[in-house]
This record gives sequence, structure tokens and C-alpha cells, in this order.
Amino acid sequence: MYDIKPLENEWKKYRKKKLKPWIIASVSLIVLSVSGIFLLPKSKIDFSKFDNSFVIASNSTYTEDKKIENSNRKTKSNVLINDPLNKLEIEKSVTDQVNIAANDSSNAFVDIPILDGKQEKTVRYGQKGKAKVHLDIVDTTSVTAYKDVAKRFEKSHDIDDSLFLARSYYKKGNYKKSEYWALATNKVDSNIEESILIFVKSKTKLGRKNEAISILKSYLKKSNSQEARNLLHRIENNKL
Amino acid sequence: MTSRYESAKNVFIDSVDIEDYIDLDSSVAAYEQLQHSLDKPLKMILLFGKPGTGKSILLNRIQEKLKHQKEIHYFDTPAVTEKEFFHKLFKVLTQKDLPINTEVNFSALVDFCKNLRGKREIIILLDEAQMYGPDMMEKIRLLSDSRAVKFVVSLHKTEDEDLIAKEHFQSRIWEVIELKNATKEDQTAYIHKKLLKKNLYEIANSIKAKDMKLIHRFTKGNYRECNKLLFTIFEICEYYDKNEPAKVNYTRIPSKIIEMSALKLGYIHV
Repeated sequence: MYDIKPLENEWKKYRKKKLKPWIIASVSLIVLSVSGIFLLPKSKIDFSKFDNSFVIASNSTYTEDKKIENSNRKTKSNVLINDPLNKLEIEKSVTDQVNIAANDSSNAFVDIPILDGKQEKTVRYGQKGKAKVHLDIVDTTSVTAYKDVAKRFEKSHDIDDSLFLARSYYKKGNYKKSEYWALATNKVDSNIEESILIFVKSKTKLGRKNEAISILKSYLKKSNSQEARNLLHRIENNKL
Repeated sequence: MTSRYESAKNVFIDSVDIEDYIDLDSSVAAYEQLQHSLDKPLKMILLFGKPGTGKSILLNRIQEKLKHQKEIHYFDTPAVTEKEFFHKLFKVLTQKDLPINTEVNFSALVDFCKNLRGKREIIILLDEAQMYGPDMMEKIRLLSDSRAVKFVVSLHKTEDEDLIAKEHFQSRIWEVIELKNATKEDQTAYIHKKLLKKNLYEIANSIKAKDMKLIHRFTKGNYRECNKLLFTIFEICEYYDKNEPAKVNYTRIPSKIIEMSALKLGYIHV
């Protein structure tokens, strides 16, 4: 009669050995698939395309109608908050128009179409001014993209850029950076409510709840914003 | 208590029993080829193949079938000494026992065979011929030259044995029959037919096509290895049936048991 137990044990070892390559292959496949999913959007972004193609307007060379700008921003802000940005891109036709405008010094006013196509924005150029191009920033996970935008903000002090960074970093959970960029936005334009809200939310996430509440309360004294009130309520009830 | 697997196990005891001969496409072809060769005026026929490809059983089968039509003799195991071999041969040729304290004179035996030409046709089936030494093989060749004695020489196919075949038979052999390992289909038929011959229908049905594939992979279609593996499989089944019935699936032989048997016989390793 067989000593069946040692044979059974031997079979168990054999089975493990037999299944090992399959397990390794399956795990590798899963890892490759998952990493493929994460890597795929990055590969679609070609920054070199827009790096050279748009002209950044400096603070001193353009004056924008702030009322129009703010109303535009408000509309866009809502869109951007609700719809996460997916990629950075620039519309060629817009660039072309701007370049034409920049080259033609006789043009005092140039209408630059806005990508959402619903509202128009008037930009006034000086004699040697450069045109400001609207970036339709949809989202990116690329680190270089953020660096490019940050670098650009240093030159342009464009609150679109700083607000984009504040928003994106907050979304990514990098609250220190979102706080920094919200503050940077606020320094350029203290009337941007979104920057204040991101600033307050970042502070809360960083554990400085009291500080956040105090800032929000002082903001509420002059703005009476419903969104700010809701945020205050959420922070106080630890629902953020 | 007798297990149903005990009978199945005994079916696969490796033996050269003519009763156990299974007609398969390949074996029928080899049998017909050998029978056809024996009808030709050939002096020597070489039957070769790896161990376990069915050479011995084929020789037994042909002897059994033709024994009433032809003067055919089967020499299963080679004689230990030349003297013993010629004693055996003398008895076959003269149909008499050699007197005590006498030895066979080889030249006289060759002459005797030459005298038999046209009168008798004797067929000698030499199994395991690789065990005969070169001198003995040379004498066998001389006897075959008499044309009264026809030899069917069965050899294992290994490098050394190929050498023997080359040196002693190549120029004298008119017919070569090679037996090969069974195909998956032939092996499946072999296993099923063997079990059905003993009315073990349920057990035959419990070995599915996937199991047959696994068995063929382990045994490479070799009949002897197949017998060994099936014997071990049913031995393990018998153990479980008697001691741990919960582990037995009567409708299907688990691949676990096939693999355990393969481990036991060293076809696979941990």
C-alpha cells in the first residue's frame, strides 16, 4: 500500500510550482494594464506644440476690462470646478489670430475668440504690446505641464494660470501647493472668490481649521457669498 | 472489501500475454507488414523500436496466429550461452532432443539446414536479440544463408543496438519494420479497449479525453509506460476507495491522481 500522504504533499508542491508562472504572468499583465491606463493620457500631451506657439501678455502690456473678465471667469470657474480638466491644449486658429494682431501694430483692438464660443473678450494692446492667448486648460497629470504653467505665471502673473495650479493641486490632494497658488492668485486679484475658497479649503485640509474659519468669516463680512457660507458650514461640521 | 479499481489495476499489469493483445490501427499495420514479409523469400527481418513499443507482443501474436500454418518458433529470452542456444535450435530443426553429453557441431548444423532447403521453411522469432553477442549473430546469419531458416530479429532501438544492426544485419536484412510509440488516439483506444475487454465500462468512461491527453504527455505513447502509469493510477484510486472514499470521483479520474502517479513514477518532478 502506498504511503499516500508524502505523495499528496509532493503533488501539492508540484501544483504550486506548476501554477507559479501563470500567477506571475497574470500579475504582470494586471500591473501592465493598470500602469498602461495611468500612462496613456500623459503620452497624448505634446507640450512642445504650444510652448512656442502662444504669446504671453505681461501685466504692463495689456489692460482688460475687469468686469467682463470677472464675469467670464465666474462662468468659466463653475465649468472648471464641475468638470475636471483633462488636457492642455491651444486652439491654433486663436494663436494665428493673435500672432497676426501682434504683428500688425496698427491694430489697437483685436477680438480674440474665446474657446467656449459663447462670450467674447476684448483685449487692448499697446503699440508694442503682445497679445494674450486664452488657454483652454482641460487637465493634466504631467509634472512638466505644471512647471511650465508656474514658470509662465512668474512672467505673466496671469491669474488663469495660478488659479489653474491652485485648483489642480487641490484636486490632486497637494494642499500645500494649492494653498500657495490660491494665495498667489489672491495677491494678483483679491476679488477672485474661487482663490479664497481654495485657500480656505487647503488650510482646512492641512489641519488649520480655525485659521480657515476665521479667514472665511472675514471674507463673508464683505462678500455675502452663498458658496462661501456653504463652505463655512461644511468646515464647521467637519464635512469637507 | 474489493475495490472496483482493483480489477482495473490488474488489467495494466505489464506482461506479454497474447490474450491481452489489443488491435490498434498501428499494431494491425505492423502485424500485416510482418506477416507479408514472412511470405517473401527473405532471410532475415529486423523488427526494431524503443522498449515498450510492442515488439514482443507482436512476435507472440504472429506465432500464435501462424503456428498452425507455418513452422514458426518463438525464442523469448536469449540463451545465456552459445551452447544453450544451439541446443534449443537443434531441437527445433531436428525435432529431437540432443543426446546427453553431446554438443552441437555448428558446421554440421549449417549443412543440415542446407539440406532442408526446399523441404521445410522454418521461422525463428528472436526476441531481445540485442543480447546476442557479435559471434552468435554471425552464426545466425550463416544459418539464415541456408535459406531453410528465416529469422525475425527483434531489437531495441538504442545507439549500441543500432550499431549491432549495422554491423551484422545491414547487408543481409531485406525488410525492416519499425514500431513506434502510440499516437494519442491509439493510446486512448488501447486504454479503453483493455478496460472494456474486462467489462470495466464505467471505469473506461471515467477517463476523459483531457485525462488521456495528460497520460499521453507523461508516457509519450509508450505502451509499457502507459501500463505502468495506469496501474499506479488505479492503485491510488483503490487506496482512496478503500480508505478515503470522499476523495474519489467515480465519474472521473481526477487529474490530481494522474499527476500523483506521474510523480511516483518519476515522469514529473517537484
